[in-house]
Amino acid sequence: MVESKHKWKAWLYLAPAIILLIVFTVWPIINTVRMAFLEGYNQTAVVGGATYSFGIGNFTKVLEYKGFLTCLGNTMLLCVLTVPLSTILALLIAVCLNAIKPLQRLLQTIFFLPYVTNSIAIGMVFAAMFNMVGTAFGGENELIITSGIINNIIEFFGGVPINWINSGSSYAANMVVMVVYIVWNALPFKILILLGGLQSINKQYYDAAKVDGTPGWRVFSRITVPLLSPMLAYVVITGFIGGFKEYSSIVGIFGEDMGPAGEPGKLNTMVGFIYDSLVTQQGRASAAALILFGIIFVVTMLNMYVSKKKTHY
Amino acid sequence: MKKSLLALFMAVALCLPLFALAGCSDTTAVNDFSVPEEGFDTEKEVTITFYHTMGANLREVLDEYIVKFNELYPNITVEHKQVGSYDDVRDQIKTEITVGNQPNIAYCYPDHVALYNLAKAVVPLDSLIASTAELKRADGTTEVLGLTDEQKADFIKGYYDEGAQFGDGKMYSLPLSKSTEVLYYNKTFFDKHGLQVPTTWDEMEEVCKKIKEIDPDCIPLGYDSEANWFITMCEQYDSEYTSATGDHFLFNNQKNIDFVTRFRDWYQKGYVTTEELSGGYTSDLFTKDSAEKGNSYMCIGSSAGASYQKPDKDADGNYVFDVGITTIPQVDASNPKVISQGPSLCIFNKESSQEVMASWLFVEFLTTTPEFQADFSMKSGYVPVIKSAAEDPVYKSEFLELADGGDYIQALSVKVGLEQEAAYYTSPAFNGSSVARDQVGLLMQKCFTVSSDGDVAAAIKKAFEDAIAECEYQAG
Amino acid sequence: MSELQNKTMQEKDLKKVSAHQKVGKIVVKVLLYTFLIVMALIVIFPFYFMLISSVKTLPEYQRSVPTLWPEFIRLRNYIDAFNTGNLGQLFVNTMIVGIVSTILSLVITVLSAFAFARLEFKGKNALFAALLGTMMIPGELFTITNYATVNSLGWMNTYTVLIVPFLVSVFYIYLLRQNFMQIPNELYLAAKVDGTSDIKYLWKVMIPLALPTLISITILKMMGAWNSYVWPRLVANEEEYQLITNGLRNAFTDAEGNANIPVQMAAVAIVSFPLFLVFIFLRKYIMKGVSRSGIKG
Repeated sequence: MVESKHKWKAWLYLAPAIILLIVFTVWPIINTVRMAFLEGYNQTAVVGGATYSFGIGNFTKVLEYKGFLTCLGNTMLLCVLTVPLSTILALLIAVCLNAIKPLQRLLQTIFFLPYVTNSIAIGMVFAAMFNMVGTAFGGENELIITSGIINNIIEFFGGVPINWINSGSSYAANMVVMVVYIVWNALPFKILILLGGLQSINKQYYDAAKVDGTPGWRVFSRITVPLLSPMLAYVVITGFIGGFKEYSSIVGIFGEDMGPAGEPGKLNTMVGFIYDSLVTQQGRASAAALILFGIIFVVTMLNMYVSKKKTHY
Repeated sequence: MKKSLLALFMAVALCLPLFALAGCSDTTAVNDFSVPEEGFDTEKEVTITFYHTMGANLREVLDEYIVKFNELYPNITVEHKQVGSYDDVRDQIKTEITVGNQPNIAYCYPDHVALYNLAKAVVPLDSLIASTAELKRADGTTEVLGLTDEQKADFIKGYYDEGAQFGDGKMYSLPLSKSTEVLYYNKTFFDKHGLQVPTTWDEMEEVCKKIKEIDPDCIPLGYDSEANWFITMCEQYDSEYTSATGDHFLFNNQKNIDFVTRFRDWYQKGYVTTEELSGGYTSDLFTKDSAEKGNSYMCIGSSAGASYQKPDKDADGNYVFDVGITTIPQVDASNPKVISQGPSLCIFNKESSQEVMASWLFVEFLTTTPEFQADFSMKSGYVPVIKSAAEDPVYKSEFLELADGGDYIQALSVKVGLEQEAAYYTSPAFNGSSVARDQVGLLMQKCFTVSSDGDVAAAIKKAFEDAIAECEYQAG
Repeated sequence: MSELQNKTMQEKDLKKVSAHQKVGKIVVKVLLYTFLIVMALIVIFPFYFMLISSVKTLPEYQRSVPTLWPEFIRLRNYIDAFNTGNLGQLFVNTMIVGIVSTILSLVITVLSAFAFARLEFKGKNALFAALLGTMMIPGELFTITNYATVNSLGWMNTYTVLIVPFLVSVFYIYLLRQNFMQIPNELYLAAKVDGTSDIKYLWKVMIPLALPTLISITILKMMGAWNSYVWPRLVANEEEYQLITNGLRNAFTDAEGNANIPVQMAAVAIVSFPLFLVFIFLRKYIMKGVSRSGIKG
């Protein structure tokens, strides 16, 4: 009696969640696959009575498109640059933090600060730091008013100012800015996780090493890193997933044009590409989303495979 | 376990037809309209909605004329809404079309109409324009539903023709108010140095060279819109740009490459800059103190933005310099071509033909009433779309005749806009025509900044190919 | 472990560390602190830059040799920023969306987690596994269809569209379920015997016990509303319903040329301030929530 009442109740309690999930999660999965395989699918034209044939046209169109390949390249490059860099830096900081007593809490709080920010808002701060006010064109038309704080610092140390993000800036300079910002943004989470991991490592291992007189770097590579490997794997996997979905940090720096003035889309990413096509070309957007999903899936599996081999629990 | 998964998917499967229905139930996929036998019923109440981008001062004018419209047609209630920018209007309507709650009338650009027509949502106006059905108005007068020959002839032709640029021969919009590009020049400076105002591009090059000699730190000419420049040059050279039918994107040809190469050279010499390349409207450079580096003495920009071309006043309250306005330079001064921009009005399909006709009457009222056109022009700085507006006595005495290079600069630009009435051209419109526009604008920027160190011709050629590829992808 | 047996013996040795080892230790400490402090300075530099720039006058900001501290503190920038960006309206919108969606989301999450943790029904585990499975799929994949769905529901430019599609977070359900599971089942059975209703039991026992998790969820959800950008940009572009981040990016888009960066920085500071406030007071919950979720909102 009580049991059957429970059953009925359980579904009642779950009803709001399940209904919303069906509408906003399950149906979209199915529909995305459907639209991805209807060649040239366009919602507006469907209203006008257009019909579409089944095929892989959306995938081939997208994969042959230079703009998409740019997005893919940008995303990959950002991932490959930022994930290792931020992980290594975070590891160093976490290990150092773990080794000190005074100021530990304060520093920990400071390192966590970038997490509680709005990536668009702080992106605008970074943009201002790298921004030259005035035009940055060579020759006759040059009219620089201020070259931005970062360039001021570079000049202070005797360097030559660089056109980081303004029109005419180089791809490498743009990338440096993006990597700096993304790493800055990614550090807090990684430090938090890694420090948590470090603090849970049994002190006995270190004491034992101390007794043996093991040198510090050996302790680090033979004890700390292996024991931390589950957290490292976690941080790397989430880092890659986040990296492949990079979007709003670029909007923060470059605005919705996703590139320096005059070169929209220069730094566009996979997610940016999906959003660009979402309103006008749903078929291609769906194909791109499935490609993104495929990449994330493969990379995650690869990561898990590697970390399983290397992880010491 | 498997059963519950199955149940889940069953549930999803059940949802599918629901969504399919929600997606297309309440829209009509007919793209034709013919005036019904019984014509318009002047007794039956009807409400129509109108989306636009008018600011508060223009809404005032609109409200005033809605009252006048209601004196003629008391049964029509006009509700209007400022939706934001032109793009906002487009995006809003585009989403509304998919659920069938689009407005009756909207501000439109040709590419918007092409987009809406993917869903076959815009009413072709031909049947309405041709209609001779008579209706009795509340003030006792009788009027035909359609346009009379005089009314048609009153429109500035280039503006009117824009409505029929969709490759299917049908008319989809009527112009409401238009602007164009004009050449603003520093009259004081030109007079002082005895310079001739250029009428052709060859003369322009000469003038730039001379100005550069006088003031080496300046950029003689600013051209706001790279895209307009490209499209206008195609028109002036009579080279291909786009087509509404068949192969859409035709702008990769030698004539176009030649003029782009030439203007790149100007840019590299510091003769010219553009909005994107200078990082702001070039009117900023035009009104800048000539003692500063990088100011300019000529500016090609929208005729509607004349007030931004006014220089600062000096300590005595006089303008630092006098502004002259004229038609932009041409390839062939005897056969001028200038762009027309600014909003047109289109009408959307609705199940009730009464609503469609009511919308038409309002559109017709706004576009063919000289007083409205004159008032709207005075408030907005746009050029009226009918010639008779210029005959309006108030408009003449309080606006056009006061035109000068200072306080009444706006009137001067409208006057120039009206005078070059025969020079307006229209570009083909299709789904993707705005992509072409964006791409040629970017193309100009890209080509201008090609470094002289490498193979310039090859870089320009590649930029053209890239632009075409981008257009093909976006529109395909 | 033989090492452990040696431990006490060795500890005595350790006390006799030679003087140069001690020096080495100090050097290491100095290096550690130097590294950490330099990194910390780099991390907070953008905040410092934002704050000083936000009170500079435009000419001072544009100097080729920047001032490290503003010569004249111009608070007017904040007023200008507030007015330019129409931040008041945006604040209100964001609060409405944040509060309503947090409350509804908590109710749904608690009910679902309760069902999964306490009630027995057929297919429970399979359903739970299926839910967890959806977490693997990037959210962008949903957005394409959700955009069309909310459009056909006529929800464009409403609060609804900003609230409803994201009410259910599988992750929060998972988190709370784990928490509920830790509460002994006996309490529930005892309550059943007493005739206490599920809801009352939830309210009186489960919720208080799971409060830390619920607070974490609340904060993350509120931060989510504060930071959400992409979805609102797609579906609520009208100023009436715009959220703070969109308003910020839209009102201050001009990244080049004559942008008044001090005013822009003031706007950024205004938007960032509530986040810092929340962080200062609820640091513990945020860090706990984050370390378990790894997601922003």
